[in-house]
Amino acid sequence: MTLITIPQFPEYNVSITLFKDVTNSKVIRSHIADSKIAFLDAKLIVSTEQVYSAIYKALIENKYNRLRTKTILSECLFCLSPTSNIGDAFKKFGIKDDSKNVICLKVLSNGESLDDVNKEVLDVVDGTMIEFNDDNLKDMYDVTLVRKIYKLEKDFQPATTTELSRALVNAIQIRGL
Amino acid sequence: MSQEIVDEVAKYLTSNIPIVPISQGAEAVVFTTTIHPYIPSSNNEKKEKFIIKYRPTKKYRHPLIDKSLTKHRTLSESRILSKLYQIDGIKVPKLIACDPYNGCIWLEFLGEDLPNGFGFSNLKNFLWMNAKDPYNDCVKDTLYKVGQQIGLLHWNDYCHGDLTSSNIVLVKDEDYGTNWIPHLIDFGLGSTSSLVEDKGVDLYVLERAIISTHSSFADKYNEWLIQGFSDVYKSKGKQGNKKLNEVLKRFAEVRLRGRKRSMIG
Ligand SMILES: Nc1ncnc2c1ncn2[C@@H]1O[C@H](COP(=O)(O)O)[C@@H](O)[C@H]1O
Repeated sequence: MTLITIPQFPEYNVSITLFKDVTNSKVIRSHIADSKIAFLDAKLIVSTEQVYSAIYKALIENKYNRLRTKTILSECLFCLSPTSNIGDAFKKFGIKDDSKNVICLKVLSNGESLDDVNKEVLDVVDGTMIEFNDDNLKDMYDVTLVRKIYKLEKDFQPATTTELSRALVNAIQIRGL
Repeated sequence: MSQEIVDEVAKYLTSNIPIVPISQGAEAVVFTTTIHPYIPSSNNEKKEKFIIKYRPTKKYRHPLIDKSLTKHRTLSESRILSKLYQIDGIKVPKLIACDPYNGCIWLEFLGEDLPNGFGFSNLKNFLWMNAKDPYNDCVKDTLYKVGQQIGLLHWNDYCHGDLTSSNIVLVKDEDYGTNWIPHLIDFGLGSTSSLVEDKGVDLYVLERAIISTHSSFADKYNEWLIQGFSDVYKSKGKQGNKKLNEVLKRFAEVRLRGRKRSMIG
């Protein structure tokens, strides 16, 4: 489990947990409406940087009272998307009935410890918790789908995941507005 | 740089992000920092630096108009950088973060300090550094590559808008230690444009910049630039040759207009 704090917004701590071989995605999905955890399908996640940059963007939107969704947490999910369609973003980036690799995001509330969150996600997700890092993500993303969703230029043929990730970060940072 | 602006930015960034002011232009102020806006610093083993470009509020403008202009320009510069990044061969700094509401862009820091106190590795300082041996192979190679960058930019219908020799930053080639890879920076006035006029003006602005700071060597320098520029177009076949002729023709016209203006003025 990773805890991330954006230097510009030290009052917010976001935990990120990566699971592989998840077997109960359908059940998780049926409960997400009242969950304080956001569940992402790792298929569209290329790098840790991509997730961090969406969290940064969500906190920027929050700072200027520009949240387009109800909470900072849902805004993090929304900010991953290159388009301004909220429903679409949730559908594409959120967990699906058949998701195998799942990323859990949670904005920690006051006094909540990483241990508490750990228990909470382990309680909900049936799968193997592994470290949220670029190496693990590398085997989970679907490059064709990523290219399509982020509408990358046909001629853009990144040689490395780092280069691909950069293009996604760009899309996240300049979305809509 | 005005202390007021520095304080404004420092407050916005919080004390977690120490900044060093490096430049103040008409449109924006620029800082460096060693803190990444969102990647944990434990990952920054190489002690990388980052650029923060901030567009200060202009007190003489109505606050609402000012906000909207700032947002528009910040986004526009970010969008261009993002588009250019996806074009094969074009070298621009990576866009790391963008806060259009506050007019802040984070970029990858490019370049380094030149030896012997010649300053930052932009094209201008690099040419000064080589003034003792002005036509050496490295100068030729570098100017040719600068020309290629502009060729690629124009071929893809983007214009820079402020193509001075300080807006071309040289980055050491990791594979060939003595070579430089020119990168284009500052797309604050950049645009997408298929107009030969805009392209002609870009070329003219750079030519003037070279003439004014390196006058004795400018003819050769500009020749090498145009060689690099032309070779990009020529590599695009018949269509490329046709467009190249149009751009160069307009470039000559813009230059002529410039001369006339300076004779009158
Ligand atoms: N990505 C960058 N890397 C290094 N230096 C930069 C970068 N962007 C801007 N600068 C410096 O800041 C000055 C002003 O930036 P600008 O306002 O973008 O023209 C430039 O002339 C450079 O010296």
